[in-house]
Amino acid sequence: MSFRQPSVLPGFGLTFGFTTFFLSAIVLLPLAALALAAASMHWSDFVHVVLSPRALGSYRLSFGASFLAAAINLVFGFIIAWTLVRYEFPGRGLIDALIDMPFALPTAVSGIALTSVFAQNGWIGRYLEPWGVKVAYTWLGVTLALTLISMPFAVRAVQPALLEVQRDLEEAAETLGAGRLYVFRRIILPTVLPALLTGFTLAFARALGEYGSVIFIAGNLPMKTEITPLLIVIHLEEFDYHGAAALGVVMLGISFVVLLAINLLQAWGRRRHVKAAH
Amino acid sequence: MSITLDQVTKHYAGAPVVNDVSLDIGDGEFFVLLGPSGSGKSTLLRAIAGLSGVDHGRIALHGRDVTHVAARKRGVGLVFQNYALFRHMTVAENIEFALRVRHMRAQARRQRRQELLRLVALEGLDQRLPAQLSGGQQQRVAVARALAHKPEVLLLDEPFGALDAKIREELRRTIRQVQRELGITTVLVTHDQEEAFAMADRIGVMNLGRLLEMGAPHDLYSRPATRFVATFLGAANLILARCTPDGVQMGANTVAAAERPPGVEEREVVAVVRPEEVEVAASRDALSSAYLARGVVNEVVFTGALESLRVRLEDGAQAPLLAQANGDAGASLLVTRTRHEQRGFEIHPGQSVAIGVRRVHVLPTPLSSFTACAASAALADALSRQPLLAELAERMKTRIAMRAEPQLGVPDAACAADSPFVGTTAIASQTDCAQRAEWLLRRGAKDLLVLPEQAAVPQRVLIHWMGEAARSATLAASASALRHLSAEAVYVGIFPEQSASAHPQHGMRELLDARSEAQLAHGLEMRTELRFGDVAQQLARRLAEAPAQMLIVGVAELTRFAERFRGLLDGGQWPVLIVYRGSP
Repeated sequence: MSFRQPSVLPGFGLTFGFTTFFLSAIVLLPLAALALAAASMHWSDFVHVVLSPRALGSYRLSFGASFLAAAINLVFGFIIAWTLVRYEFPGRGLIDALIDMPFALPTAVSGIALTSVFAQNGWIGRYLEPWGVKVAYTWLGVTLALTLISMPFAVRAVQPALLEVQRDLEEAAETLGAGRLYVFRRIILPTVLPALLTGFTLAFARALGEYGSVIFIAGNLPMKTEITPLLIVIHLEEFDYHGAAALGVVMLGISFVVLLAINLLQAWGRRRHVKAAH
Repeated sequence: MSITLDQVTKHYAGAPVVNDVSLDIGDGEFFVLLGPSGSGKSTLLRAIAGLSGVDHGRIALHGRDVTHVAARKRGVGLVFQNYALFRHMTVAENIEFALRVRHMRAQARRQRRQELLRLVALEGLDQRLPAQLSGGQQQRVAVARALAHKPEVLLLDEPFGALDAKIREELRRTIRQVQRELGITTVLVTHDQEEAFAMADRIGVMNLGRLLEMGAPHDLYSRPATRFVATFLGAANLILARCTPDGVQMGANTVAAAERPPGVEEREVVAVVRPEEVEVAASRDALSSAYLARGVVNEVVFTGALESLRVRLEDGAQAPLLAQANGDAGASLLVTRTRHEQRGFEIHPGQSVAIGVRRVHVLPTPLSSFTACAASAALADALSRQPLLAELAERMKTRIAMRAEPQLGVPDAACAADSPFVGTTAIASQTDCAQRAEWLLRRGAKDLLVLPEQAAVPQRVLIHWMGEAARSATLAASASALRHLSAEAVYVGIFPEQSASAHPQHGMRELLDARSEAQLAHGLEMRTELRFGDVAQQLARRLAEAPAQMLIVGVAELTRFAERFRGLLDGGQWPVLIVYRGSP
């Protein structure tokens, strides 16, 4: 493969230049500044901040809750997308539009709304209380908030893929004797798996970066319901810019590794197909 | 019987897509369902496969009623037009799919797969993905996959549609060969008549959801019963002719028909002349077949093995009437000639030739052409543009003549035109309609169509006759009309009020007899209803119950006709076809 490939858009040099410039100015430069700020710390200070019990607790919550939220959305996002793609019912357009609401809503609003509903005296929290289930101000609430704001990513990623699953493939499988579960497992799932993975990645990434909605419902107890972004803000408020940068770098590193791993997994899946095709 | 369909009906958004189809397909038979797109053939195939349910009727496979059995338990193999191969699986996995579902052992699966790949001539391609195969190869894989679980029935839904001509032919041969080798009952759906001829043991032609005719390719081609089949299976010239004791009279000349059409009465008929049965020569004496008319060659097209001509008929009033052309514009006869014929007599556009006919086939349809009849020429012209009439004529590929009768409806007045009434006479529905209808029927009109101004194509046709003499003619006219309408047929049996309690079984028997005669003699499937009371009153009430209905009513005598039919005809909002056949 050559570096340069003919294309309908002229000026590869120009467009490639723009691409690198844009990525540098908007993404790489701030990240570099962040890394630089952290690098100016003394190594022992860095380790002290980054491996403090409070920091470790926040990593666990941030990554754990995000992963859980993405996993929940993987399942329910798929079901929602399936319903919207496969069935014709009154109000479908409305529901379809509703999916995007978490996109548009200021996240703080979602946080306040969730808190008022799930607080001990809230609409739903009231009934959960006697069962000993506390949502607001626990890790459960964090997961809930992250699920809400990352839901559209999962649905929107799977929807187009489901549209492409041809009906006659399922019908062919049916005439060959396959039951519904078998058709789902062997025909539908393999076709939408890449899209599902993409949806998962997007939802996970979005949840990791979330701040606004979580701080309202989390209660922000150190070690228990404190997410990493909040810890960073706390450092900032104490004018500890270096500490904030150090946590930022760790978060950046882990996120990058996780996203890279998922992307590689997807590429591996694709390559397996292509490889079989040669 | 391998596949038995009994009155299968499927509605979509209120309109029937498959309309009362009954069909028996024998063991090992290769049956082709042929029809234009939207004729319901694919829907019927899907119903056999179990992929879409039916609203009415039964489906049996090898004697087992599967009407309510899921597709996966029917034991059929289905091949789709777009192959529908599983793209993420290899050829081997695709073919073994049905076996894997059935938990067959790997060793046995592999063996069966090799067998199938050999059958469709694709050995060694086991590990390829569908995307790496050509269209023809993919379809072969689809056929192998559909056969893997040894289905009792193989269903093919336009399997060659996406392939180019050469590959299509090759695959056709392969499929026919495989089918013979396995002796598997096969149904193929296609819109390509050539394909149907090449492959079928028997063809069923569908149009507007109805199975119009069934038969061996050769029989259907040479002796079609309907206009649609005559023109859909190859090209045909439809000529309005008169059936006389001497033969078929087309224009001024009479030609002996291939077989005597049913019924001895002299009447207007639709004659089918295939383009290859037309002979052209320099003069009448040079013809070896019966002389038809003279004509001028309009167009000569070279198509390889055959030469195709369009010949405009001359001889003025003596010329045969071509049914297809409304008005005179574009009325030309289609002729094809072999190389041999071309060498014997070379033809150029503009040349004047004598035309002969080697073979004529007469369609049994009683509805040959329409005549719009009104008090003035202007009104008749307006009537000829009535939407239902225009649509019917278009679908029947026939013409609408016009006739002015200034005295229409005036008692004891004579006809203005001295020519007899031919075909179906149409009149507008208005206040004194019953009287006009009686006037026309008493002066020789046999089939009379009463049309309200706004009437459109009906969705249900009610059928009834008064008097046994009119029964057979009514059924024939109904069958003919319904072949051109996407409507359901309902026979309405009506008995006097008091008989309801006295002889209920008598009424039922009459009803069942009517149905079986319609089925046997005319291939018409109809539903039945039983009502009690005055005939005209009950019919009018039934017609008022739903929109888009039409009535076909047989009448055997005309006494007090206008009085009896006033409520039904005068200002009615529904079209009525009156079939009058007096007792002999």
